[in-house]
Amino acid sequence: MVSNTTADIADLIARCALRDRKAFATLYQRTSAKLFGVSLRILKDRAEAEEALQEVYVKIWQRADRYVAGGYSPISWLVAVARNHALDILRARKPITDDIDAALDIADAGPDPEQAALDKGERTRIDGCLAELEEAKADAVRGAYLDGFSYEELAARHNVPLNTMRTWLRRSLIKLRECLAA
Amino acid sequence: MSQADDMGDSADGDKVLVAEYVLGLLDAAEHDRIARRIAAEPTLAAEQRMWRLRLASLDNEFAEVTPPQSVMSRLESRLFGSTAAGGGFANWWNSLALWRGLAAGGVAVAVAAIGFSVLQPRLDVDSVATQLVAALQSQEGSGVEFVAFYDSRTQAVRLVGLEGEQPAEKDFELWYIKGDEPAVSMGVIPVDQRTSITLDAAAQQKFGEGTVLAVTLEQKGGSPTGKAQGPIVAVGKATSI
Repeated sequence: MVSNTTADIADLIARCALRDRKAFATLYQRTSAKLFGVSLRILKDRAEAEEALQEVYVKIWQRADRYVAGGYSPISWLVAVARNHALDILRARKPITDDIDAALDIADAGPDPEQAALDKGERTRIDGCLAELEEAKADAVRGAYLDGFSYEELAARHNVPLNTMRTWLRRSLIKLRECLAA
Repeated sequence: MSQADDMGDSADGDKVLVAEYVLGLLDAAEHDRIARRIAAEPTLAAEQRMWRLRLASLDNEFAEVTPPQSVMSRLESRLFGSTAAGGGFANWWNSLALWRGLAAGGVAVAVAAIGFSVLQPRLDVDSVATQLVAALQSQEGSGVEFVAFYDSRTQAVRLVGLEGEQPAEKDFELWYIKGDEPAVSMGVIPVDQRTSITLDAAAQQKFGEGTVLAVTLEQKGGSPTGKAQGPIVAVGKATSI
């Protein structure tokens, strides 16, 4: 996606909000490989990922007006839609919550001091902070984010009891939070 | 210093919960509960933003995988019906449904709609340009219908087929008829696509209000004699816009 500038993607999303079908087709053409990659990695099933991808773009088309420029980068917003949709599928077949709605409501909440601080562009700091964790614990955090692994799956993969994994990860998240806020 | 940093011990628990929420580690019931709290509590919302923003820098680790073509096809037919993407004038001109509606509503409706839409932007309101429209209605149950639009500035007739199938080994031929004069061929026309026919000088002279346009069914390639031989399948009179 070398040719995709942030402004291009943001513009395409905005034009989707104006019901521009060509913009939607272009947006799909430019971003579907990324979002399919997200769906496939988390769902680990091709047919399911294809179905999910379709749902994701329906959501994007229907809710493009809710993308708020200035918060997340547009591609991150799209990835979040795809990732949350895949996690919803994993969490339960029954749709208890609509994660993307909650996420978008928050994006709509408007500027605040914390947001201003976050917008300063230190987004890569998490890499440094993850590096401060033990390797296995950093792996667990990445596995949860990138692969959608549950506590049960993480415990099995790291060969530790479930409660141990819970404690590990929660402590790691507190450390990570301290590092990120420092 | 953020609000979240000023909070006490229980806030630490909340911070972890929000992190777990963003990572997708909570079960359905807990996930739902935290989602509602985030929606209601700005400090938790800020916490969620922080995690999502920071974690998003891991997004480049998702490899790109090109999805099969079928996904986009299904998506488009689901969102838009089976129509292709389009917009603006071309889309309007290509809208078969609109043309069918115009034909059904008769020429008066066509005049109003075309006058309003086709001629935008109207550069020369005071010019002597002539615009005509004709709805060519089906004859003898042929099921063939066309709408024709003429603009003297482009000296061309634009034609769109609304209904009807072309029989194999036959062609539709378009004719104009001025008063009692014999029909003059404007050539063979396809039924399944839009056509633009540029008029020669003689035709331009004769084209005006009341000129009749007719479509006949002729042998392949059109009538060899220059006179209509087959049955008239659609006919309509040009009306000024």
